Amino acid sequence: MFENDLKKLNDTFTAYIYSSERTIGNETYISADPEHIREICTYINREMGYGLVSMFAADERGLAAGKFAIYYTFADRTEGKLLTVKTLHGEENLSFHSICSTVHAAALYEREIQDMFGLTPVDHPDPRRLVFHSNWPEGRFPLRKDFDGGSRPERAKVAMQFKRVEGDGVYEIPVGPVHAGIIEPGHFRFSVAGEPIINLEAQLYFVHKGIEKMSEGTTVEKCLFISERISGDETIANSLAFCQAVEKMAGIEVPARARYTRVIFAELERLTSHLGDLTGICQDTAYGFAAYQFNMLRGWSYNVADQLCGMRFLRNINKPGGVRRDFIDGSEAAVLELLGRIRTELKDTVDIINANSLFIDRVENTGVLSTEAAQDLNVVGPAGRASGVRHDVRRTFPYAAYGELDFSVPEHNNGDVNCRMNVKIEECLESIDLIVKAINSMPEGRISEALPDIKPYSSGYGITEAPRGENVHWVMMGEASRIFRYKIRTPSFCNWPAVCLAVRGNIVPDFPLINKSFNLSYAGNDL
Amino acid sequence: MFKTLEKIIKYPRLTQEYPKKAPDATLFVGRPEISSEKCSGCGECAVRCPSGAIEGGTGTGKAAISYDRCVFCALCEEICPKGAVRMTHDFELARKDRKLLKSTAFTVSEDNMPELGKEELENRLEKRISKLFGRSLHIREVDAGSCNGCDYEINALNNPFNDIERLGIHFVASPRHADMLLVTGPVSRNMEEALIKTYNAAPDPKLVVAAGACACSGGIFRDCYAVGGGIDTVIPVDVYVPGCPPRPQAILYGILKALDRVK
Repeated sequence: MFENDLKKLNDTFTAYIYSSERTIGNETYISADPEHIREICTYINREMGYGLVSMFAADERGLAAGKFAIYYTFADRTEGKLLTVKTLHGEENLSFHSICSTVHAAALYEREIQDMFGLTPVDHPDPRRLVFHSNWPEGRFPLRKDFDGGSRPERAKVAMQFKRVEGDGVYEIPVGPVHAGIIEPGHFRFSVAGEPIINLEAQLYFVHKGIEKMSEGTTVEKCLFISERISGDETIANSLAFCQAVEKMAGIEVPARARYTRVIFAELERLTSHLGDLTGICQDTAYGFAAYQFNMLRGWSYNVADQLCGMRFLRNINKPGGVRRDFIDGSEAAVLELLGRIRTELKDTVDIINANSLFIDRVENTGVLSTEAAQDLNVVGPAGRASGVRHDVRRTFPYAAYGELDFSVPEHNNGDVNCRMNVKIEECLESIDLIVKAINSMPEGRISEALPDIKPYSSGYGITEAPRGENVHWVMMGEASRIFRYKIRTPSFCNWPAVCLAVRGNIVPDFPLINKSFNLSYAGNDL
Repeated sequence: MFKTLEKIIKYPRLTQEYPKKAPDATLFVGRPEISSEKCSGCGECAVRCPSGAIEGGTGTGKAAISYDRCVFCALCEEICPKGAVRMTHDFELARKDRKLLKSTAFTVSEDNMPELGKEELENRLEKRISKLFGRSLHIREVDAGSCNGCDYEINALNNPFNDIERLGIHFVASPRHADMLLVTGPVSRNMEEALIKTYNAAPDPKLVVAAGACACSGGIFRDCYAVGGGIDTVIPVDVYVPGCPPRPQAILYGILKALDRVK
């Protein structure tokens, strides 16, 4: 199928797709004429049905081509293939054609490229700043190679624009960046008439730290530790995506024992994260008993983490080529016992909350995200699966030992808080089963493979299913085994626009609940 | 309803008694310790430390760790050719002065206060709280650019295992109600203004606790264009809590430390 699709694409756009093409594993790169990128991307997205999973630029002016490059990454989720379209943009014309009028998921990527590289998306319907706030001066673009990553540009005062809804009785509620709860910073502007929300605008990037710039020029070893700190509760998902990208470039096979160990940690991370989300949902509906139950279960899953590695946030586990030490050996019995307790208690608690009509009444039909919107915005992870989007990276791009283990992926269609909650509950139980299966079929043997030198300017994708969904990292190696470009696209980046859409028409007091049912990472989005 | 009641009485007490009773720390990854006898001064760890926390180690100088920068990645332990680095289980690392976290921190004595027993510390804490803040301490948490690890650990102070309210400590929704700001993250450029405004909004007397390696020194993100070098580059800090992220107990220890300082 993928081969046929590619052939058809080549036939349709013969004049605009250049022959230079390479394929590494499941990754295919083609380069195309930037003048016709919109037609090509629209065809790939609409006719071939491939979702846009990442889009990024790289400053390749110092390389052979001598230009900026923009990469459009599409995923064939039925066969697990990636198609990357690359266009080149010279310094004489620092702009590119916006594709977001037809490929809607591209809207934020294009604004990000504008801020970070100074390439202007032509015909973008909303070309405002994204990453930078009013304090960032005009004309400074951090991801260009001539920008000094250690410099601190002077503070500016650039006016920020927000969307304004006008009409009788419409008013605005500004919230944040410092919120009432113990959560990350973000600024929300609700346009409200009476109680229902007409529009929500989220201004994020308060925790933008410049992780992508900072990774450039570092060794693989240091970059691994940076990747562990992209988003605290997705340590394994991010470090694993980074490791996979490096392993792909180096062309090494990870030993079986390490692959199974990675599954155990990835599922433990999912379990912990989902239990936290369930706590939050119950807390925001003032259902104290259930919130404490789930919080207790989350505490137990931290105990599992302590038992295995002594770090509650699962740091210091992955390394390119495998895992850092044998974490599982000797802890099997204790872990299985704890997991058994979590499973029983979780099932009991779920039975109790499902029998509580007051609670179900609150979560049902609240914050509905339609299937169509979810597909258009490339909404990923549990939020997507609650809205009828079927894919799960563990299935579509099997990594670690997921190809060898049997598991089911929950499917719901209503797209409300209840569905997202149920997806998470079912995934919790599935994660427990997966850990048990992985421990029981744990192969003997080595836990890591030595990492050979990587050819300069090779690149690779690493894709994992983080607790919040599909996580796509792209690494390009430079000279002397230093990172040239590290593009991180976490699931939160895809799902934030969905939160703003899902709250429309709901009342303001339901916003925290809807937000919790998505539970996105600000740090993972802002980088 | 019956099932709910059954569950409520099933687990009568989960709350750990820290700081009254020390937790079983044998599984914890604590601070790394460099043995000066074994250290050959080869400098390997100083070069490879991802957060630049290790100094010296070149020529005759022995390697020494700055705990305000350390991200507890255990790489130094893994790569030391002499086996001179050991990860301890020590998690009570909060100090009032950042200098005490530098290199030789754990060999110099702290202030002029003798190390108190846990029980004594808690007694004194309770006295202070009741004297200063009318039996309760109100904390406002501010995330100034963290990866959210520290924030989840602060959140965990409210869970049934730590239940910080048993010590009369509450988290509040507004800085106007707060006696203490608990700040995480290296201070990202976009949060600087919000942090200063929050600080100004909190009434005096107020305390500031910096939680996590980023908050103490900027941590691994220190040198990047969009971050500062820790909370104390923006607002005054009373206590520094190292860790990446620090465990809930380590944060609690830091909060206790801060209260003891107010005279």
